[in-house]
Amino acid sequence: MKPKRALAGALVAVVVAMLLAPAATAAGVENVTVTVAPERIATKLGGKFSFTSTVANDTATDARGLIAHLNVLSLRDGTYVDPEDWSSNRTRYLDPIAAGESTTITWRMQAVNDGDFGIYVAVLPESGAPVPPVAGPTIRLDVAERKTLNAAGIVPLVLGIPAALGLLAVGVRIRRRG
Amino acid sequence: MTQVAHPSEQTQARESTSGWLVVFSQEMRDLWLGGRGLVLSFAFSLLVGIIAYLVATNTDLNFLEQRESTSLTLQVAIAVGGLLTLLVAADAVSGERERGTLETLLLTPVSRREIAAGKLLAALSLWFAAFVITVPYVWFLGHGVGIVDEALVAGLAVGTLVAVFLASLGLVVSCFAASNRVSLSLSLFVLLAFLAPTQLPAGAQQAWAGDLLLRVNPLTAGERYVSKIVVNGHGWTEDISWLLSPVIGALVLATAAVLVSGRYIRLRGGVSG
Repeated sequence: MKPKRALAGALVAVVVAMLLAPAATAAGVENVTVTVAPERIATKLGGKFSFTSTVANDTATDARGLIAHLNVLSLRDGTYVDPEDWSSNRTRYLDPIAAGESTTITWRMQAVNDGDFGIYVAVLPESGAPVPPVAGPTIRLDVAERKTLNAAGIVPLVLGIPAALGLLAVGVRIRRRG
Repeated sequence: MTQVAHPSEQTQARESTSGWLVVFSQEMRDLWLGGRGLVLSFAFSLLVGIIAYLVATNTDLNFLEQRESTSLTLQVAIAVGGLLTLLVAADAVSGERERGTLETLLLTPVSRREIAAGKLLAALSLWFAAFVITVPYVWFLGHGVGIVDEALVAGLAVGTLVAVFLASLGLVVSCFAASNRVSLSLSLFVLLAFLAPTQLPAGAQQAWAGDLLLRVNPLTAGERYVSKIVVNGHGWTEDISWLLSPVIGALVLATAAVLVSGRYIRLRGGVSG
């Protein structure tokens, strides 16, 4: 019967380990901190800018399987923001962070809309454990307006260029016949 | 249609200029003073104008979308400008053959390669006219976001390569085609085949096979390079590999057109001709 007991014990150990595994990963996320620099950025429409986020492992064990994700949103209602337009590389899969160490990520972005925006970086476990992600402080981004397109101005071009070419073609034809 | 100059004029021209230049001058007169070039340019300006109007009147365009609008207008100009050169080049030999003017052209003291070179350059003039027509639209759409210079330089470089490629292709087809109708329809079919990969879903374009297809196709590779410069704001050399197939395609086809024409510009069309 001893082998059966040993097998049962092993099975219990595996089940317990499986149950505890997400919790251990979750604890890893909960014990990291995210800081950003700078905390406020001002630019103009179309301007390129960058900032850094530092993910620090404050525990006594290595932090593994972490993902940092960048997000941007408008702080004022009525401005549609597509974060993909602002940065083409918004998700980073982090290398293991040793106990007491940290890793710094540089994020490069481009201001696609004008207005007031909030940017933040969140870190979550790649295990998908149901724990809240750890987010850094919000970076306040002010994008100055820049008048870029006066739609009415296109009408003279759209009418004028074909008209000029049409007149030229008619003139050449009349001259040939004359 | 190239008309034959008086023998004494030919001799004088031969003495002072190269044969290809004489053919080129005559083709330019036929194309532009004959009115065909102006009519095609008029149609081109209407098309580009409508596209520019549609994208410009969308007042909700954000910064990136405005760059995309400039890129779209430029890419349409490159594709349609290339189409114009293809149409003229596809008519160059088979058209003369059908109009019964090829025989007199072949009797002139100009080599067949020089005839082909002159016709090829004249066909390219349509692209340069198309580019000049596009400049105001690109300026209007792009000056607010500061990309006019980059867009125009990229458009001129890529558009010229694409135009050389397509005009050379049209000339080769025209040499072999049994009739002008065959030449024009075959050239258009090939152009559509080159444009087909642009309709691939985004996922397929990012896969290695889709990426390879886009890179080896001079049209799609050239337009992708323009997009990288205008939309993504990349530097000139960052995506230079995308220019490889347009450069190779233009060089190979232009050389082939001149070499093939030396042997295959004949009074009777067809491969066995």
